[in-house]
Amino acid sequence: MNKTLTSLNTSFLILLFLSLIFSMFSIPNLNIDEKQSIKVNFYELIPQDDILFDSSAPDTLIKKETKKISEINEKINTDETSIISKFKINKLDIKNEISKIKLSKEREDILRVSAIIQERISSIWIKPNSLSESLTAKVLINLAPSGEILNFSLIKPSSNTSFNESILTTMNKMTFFEEVLFLERKLFEKNFRNFNLVFKSSGEIE
Amino acid sequence: MIRFSSLLFFLVSNSIFSILEIEILKGSDNLSKVAFVPFGLESGIEENYGSEISKNIENNMLLFGEFENLAVNEMLSYPSSENDFYYRDWKVLGVDYSLIGKVNSVNALGNLNISYSLFNINRRIKILEGEIVGSEDNIEGISKIISNRIYEEITGLRGIFDTKLAYVINSDAETYQMCISDIDGKNEQILFTSKAPIMSPDWSPDRKKIAYVSFENGLAEIFIQDLQSGERDSIQALGMTNSAPVWSPDGKSLALVVSFSGNPDIFLYSINNKRLIRLTNHYGIDTEPSWSPDSKKIIFTSDRSGSPQLYEINTKSKRKKRLTKDGNYNARGRYFPDGKSIFFVHGNDGNFQIATKKLSSRYIETLTSTSLDESPTISPNGNIIIYATKDGLNGYLGGITLDGKSRFSLPVKNGSVREPAWSPLLN
Repeated sequence: MNKTLTSLNTSFLILLFLSLIFSMFSIPNLNIDEKQSIKVNFYELIPQDDILFDSSAPDTLIKKETKKISEINEKINTDETSIISKFKINKLDIKNEISKIKLSKEREDILRVSAIIQERISSIWIKPNSLSESLTAKVLINLAPSGEILNFSLIKPSSNTSFNESILTTMNKMTFFEEVLFLERKLFEKNFRNFNLVFKSSGEIE
Repeated sequence: MIRFSSLLFFLVSNSIFSILEIEILKGSDNLSKVAFVPFGLESGIEENYGSEISKNIENNMLLFGEFENLAVNEMLSYPSSENDFYYRDWKVLGVDYSLIGKVNSVNALGNLNISYSLFNINRRIKILEGEIVGSEDNIEGISKIISNRIYEEITGLRGIFDTKLAYVINSDAETYQMCISDIDGKNEQILFTSKAPIMSPDWSPDRKKIAYVSFENGLAEIFIQDLQSGERDSIQALGMTNSAPVWSPDGKSLALVVSFSGNPDIFLYSINNKRLIRLTNHYGIDTEPSWSPDSKKIIFTSDRSGSPQLYEINTKSKRKKRLTKDGNYNARGRYFPDGKSIFFVHGNDGNFQIATKKLSSRYIETLTSTSLDESPTISPNGNIIIYATKDGLNGYLGGITLDGKSRFSLPVKNGSVREPAWSPLLN
């Protein structure tokens, strides 16, 4: 019994580990440049106009009339069914499309605000000279919905003190990211309440 | 319990890893603004050493165009101690750093006691505090020491304001002068004057000697001159001509070019036992050697492939490697102080410009925009390159910081200036 539990536990942990790996690969890591654009693809509806009836019945008048009536009825029914079926598909598609558009809109908003933040930081960050090594430092920002920077901390400093100092000096110059004011509250809470700025130096002579 | 902790860790990790990340790759082109507040004076001190020191420091810090200053008449206050210092007075003027100081006393021997502090205005913290004692006859020297400390604190790089520059002045068609001066052009000394060309000066690592080539006896000859005594010694190498001497980082030998029967090759010359060791042996022209910072390799120019290109040779194994392939003119290579990159003269369509290349990369990056650049030399902190260039017939020294933010020219001399060589730092 114990063995079974242990193996179950191990499997669970492996599952969690895999989920962690998966989640790591799905980190939104935005590196925005001017060329990036948002593409929205609308679902192409397939026309369903084919109406089915029995063509093998004899061609008498009554039959013809009956057939006509039945044809009309059938056509109406078929049309209705077709419309309903079409409507059903459309409803589903529209729902999908709305959610897609919403997602695209959200993505667009995140990209737009991120690009503005990126630009504002870049315009005041005085990078130390002559860094021959590749450096990365990460700052965690805590924002109020008003855009005010409530707190920031260098959660992952680089190995270079001047590089770290330049980042702290830059962050001290910033007080507001008012761009987030125009975001939906839910979107703000999910993406900009806490976010990271990753400062990088390529180590190339610039 | 351990498993529960692991589970918690994974869950927390999941939530942490999903945070939005924005990458900042580009920095601003703006310069840090520094306020050099005139140093205060203790009551009873008559000479205005305070203003002189702060002005000297300001001039030093602005020399290479790496900083912006706040004019004294724009300052809202003139604090000389921390008690009188208010961050808001500087924040409102857009100042990034503020330097204050005070001359506290002058003793009977004429020694000044000076204290100083540097503040980071944006972070609202004091980042440097120091005290220095020096002679009132050496205000310039004191200012350079303070400038070095400030520079190092702000940039993280060694200060270079007490380094020197060697260069050749060609004042008229028949006069060549081997000179040295402070890096700001002050205190120029003429070491040697000749009617024949002088070239390729290079500093010994202890900054006590300079090696250079002189044609005074009709052919290229290497001299080592002692800066203290002024004595000159010729290296009596065996070849017809000897040129392009460069000191090894340990100061025990010179890499140089010796030409036997008209074919120049790279040799090592031991200063103590005066022995020559051949490094290259090729029918092409091998010239302009320079040591790697770890003394293990030498970069040189060779036309063995048909056009001047840069090669590297291991001084022990003598294994060679071609370093440049782009373009048909890459010469006068030098290593950066970290040994990871090189800089050199890159020729393209008749333009000769200073370029750099990371040894791990194949790409060349052109630094300068003038067209007749030659003889680049790098500051010992690896941040600035000075090179000789021309404006019409006049040669002058231009400079560039490696981030490309600042381009400058050094004070004009009386004549064409060529062949600059930046001195090493004194440890």
